[in-house]
Amino acid sequence: MRLEKCFFCSSNVYPGHGMMFVRNDSKIFRFCRSKCHRNFKLKRNPRKVRWTKAFRRTAGKDMTIDSTLEFEKRRNIPVRYDRDLMATTLKAMKRIKEIKARRESVFYRQRMAHKHAQEKAENQKLVDDMVDLADIPAEEIQQAMRLPEVSGGQRQNAMETA
Amino acid sequence: MSSYYNFKKIQVIPGSEDLLNIILSKIQRKTPTVIHPGYKISRIREFYMRKIKFAQDCFDEKLDHITGEFPKLDEIHPFYADLMNVLYDRDHYKLALGQISKAKHLIDSVAKDYTRLVKFGDSLYRCKQLKVAALGRMATIIKRQKDSLTYLEQVRQHLARLPSIDPNTRTLLVCGYPNVGKSSFMNKLTRADVDVQPYAFTTKSLFVGHMDYKYLRWQLIDTPGILDHPLEDRNTIEMQSVTALAHLRACVLFFIDLSEECGFSIDAQLNLYNTIKPLFAGKPTVMVVNKIDKKRMEDLDAPTRERIEAMLARDGVTLAQQSCYTDEGVIAVRDTACDLLIAARADMKLRSHRVQDVLNKLHVAQPQARDDVARPAFVPEAALERQRAAKEMVRDPDTGELVPLKRSMTLARDVEAEHGGAGVYNVNLKDRYLLANDDWKQDIIPELMDGKNIADFIDPDIAERLAALEEEEERLIAEGFYDDNTPDLTPAELETRARAKIIRDKKALARAAHSSLATMPRMELHGRLDPRPERITRRLNTLPILARRLAAKGKDLPATAQLMRSVSQGGWRAAAEDPAYARKPSEVMKMRRLEGDQKNRQLMGLAPGKAQYNQAIKEVRFTQRGPNLMAKRGESDRHIMTKMPKHLFSGKRTIGKTDRR
Repeated sequence: MRLEKCFFCSSNVYPGHGMMFVRNDSKIFRFCRSKCHRNFKLKRNPRKVRWTKAFRRTAGKDMTIDSTLEFEKRRNIPVRYDRDLMATTLKAMKRIKEIKARRESVFYRQRMAHKHAQEKAENQKLVDDMVDLADIPAEEIQQAMRLPEVSGGQRQNAMETA
Repeated sequence: MSSYYNFKKIQVIPGSEDLLNIILSKIQRKTPTVIHPGYKISRIREFYMRKIKFAQDCFDEKLDHITGEFPKLDEIHPFYADLMNVLYDRDHYKLALGQISKAKHLIDSVAKDYTRLVKFGDSLYRCKQLKVAALGRMATIIKRQKDSLTYLEQVRQHLARLPSIDPNTRTLLVCGYPNVGKSSFMNKLTRADVDVQPYAFTTKSLFVGHMDYKYLRWQLIDTPGILDHPLEDRNTIEMQSVTALAHLRACVLFFIDLSEECGFSIDAQLNLYNTIKPLFAGKPTVMVVNKIDKKRMEDLDAPTRERIEAMLARDGVTLAQQSCYTDEGVIAVRDTACDLLIAARADMKLRSHRVQDVLNKLHVAQPQARDDVARPAFVPEAALERQRAAKEMVRDPDTGELVPLKRSMTLARDVEAEHGGAGVYNVNLKDRYLLANDDWKQDIIPELMDGKNIADFIDPDIAERLAALEEEEERLIAEGFYDDNTPDLTPAELETRARAKIIRDKKALARAAHSSLATMPRMELHGRLDPRPERITRRLNTLPILARRLAAKGKDLPATAQLMRSVSQGGWRAAAEDPAYARKPSEVMKMRRLEGDQKNRQLMGLAPGKAQYNQAIKEVRFTQRGPNLMAKRGESDRHIMTKMPKHLFSGKRTIGKTDRR
């Protein structure tokens, strides 16, 4: 039993889930759900569809180069079962997961670093422009937006006052 | 090979009358039949020439077939050629075939002459007469071949019934005086079922039977009896025997009857042997003494016996004795004859030049002994012990059968029987695992953990690699890789952020409240409060709407102006004060009239100005909204009405009320 990766979105495909398509050149495509299968049938390129792992990797949104990523691999070399090795591996897996999570958070922080100044400027602008909106009570805003529209007479009056 | 000389496939030869009928009806069927005097003469000539030529072709085909199908005496095996000579007379046979072939040529020349004549025919009548004459002459030629055709048909029937003798295979040939028991011998060895009667010349032609010996097919030929007189005096029946003796490379079994029951004396039989001896030359020959139930070789008087033995010794002929009545020695005769023939054939093959070709290709490799050391097979002591134990048998107290004292080893089926038998016991394959430690064999091997395949992480040197990773981690920590370098916000910035959040929430609130209203035409919804040009009012954001409404309610908050300003740079007041937009009403009307293109059909029939036009457009859109949402057909869609509605045209009668449905 194995967890396979979805061909389209690269998520896990658990046994008994999703579907498998075997093309007539015997290449196997697995899909985690009908959404991915449908997108595949539409001949979409997973690298260009924003919600896939493939897109995130190519667009530099995910960590792709790191020593923690070197541990998980299909090695295709049969290794005889060894209880000690298995124990070491399980422990290592937990530790690797931890380190990887930390590095990913750093990666995200670095990716978002240039946002701080931008955010600051946006906040300042909003506060400068609409400082009074903050003071209008919420109920009043809601009421005003739900009011029926002004009549034609009022409209005329408004035009004249303007 | 045997089917090569099978004359059963020759087709029936029709008599001359039949042949004519066949061909004339074929001409009638396969050529055009309609012709009129009014046709062009070239067409008429063509019509009759075609008939003549077709007749010629048909005759040619038939006659060719006949001459082609009969075996040519020069081409077939001499045995058959001679046999046919004996049976049908070579000259007669050749003459008949020759005449057929000559008839063919005659017909060809007739056809040639008459087609030439038809070319000059000047009327339908004359052409027709020429055709009739041509066919008539052809018919005459064929009728003259009546006797040849009849003869050939008889030959065909007889040929088809000839035994299919293969002249090249292993053959035993039985010959001798009439009534000496040749056919009885044949019946003993094969299933040919030849007629056996107690009078001379029961067998009047050659008979073939087949038998097996040493996994080979053998052909046994029974011949009619031969009398002792010169070759010229022999009749057809005897000549068949002679032909077979002369041409077949076979083992000859010469039968003699010492009891003289056949009606011929021993001397007569021996004389016959001497007469036909030249025919046996070069062939293995066996002298078979038949009817030994009556008289054996040993029972003969000494002088006769010695004479026979001397003869046999002189010619190198084997003697065999048998009795078809008691079956004594029949098989021995067969074996003797067959072995002799096999030896003779092998000898002949060895003497032929072809044997060298085969021998050159044959090579039997013999391995060379390396040294004299004996290298017997090694059988472990345990295995020998097991074999010994298996040989010791004891009687099973329950069944009384002999069973081994102890099983040589425990078999998987014994284990199965011990654990509940088939269907209950499950073979534990884990027992056969080859692992470093046998305790691990029954471990349940985990496959998945935390959404990962454990197999993907299994790596013999994972410990070292993990240590390297930990080292790298320490280094990174030391380098400050994990430190958060984001600059802290000042209190003022924090305040701004908090306030911005409040404003964002309020905006979201306004948007939510607005979007929760029932959908109505937007123009209708918010109307127009100001004389701002379309350009500005089109930017329908939530905030300006909010600002307007608050202003309309008299809430002249300072925020309103700011909100407005935030919408359009410079604010709407500035826009209103812009002289570019401040035009006199009359001027505006004039402009609009000028703008209104009289040829624009959308504006036709509408009051000048945009008001009525806009109203119209708005109403159209409103009515279309529903159907458009449902993607239904609208008024303006191109549509071709049904040109012939089915309900108005089906099921109509000539009278009655069925004219309308």
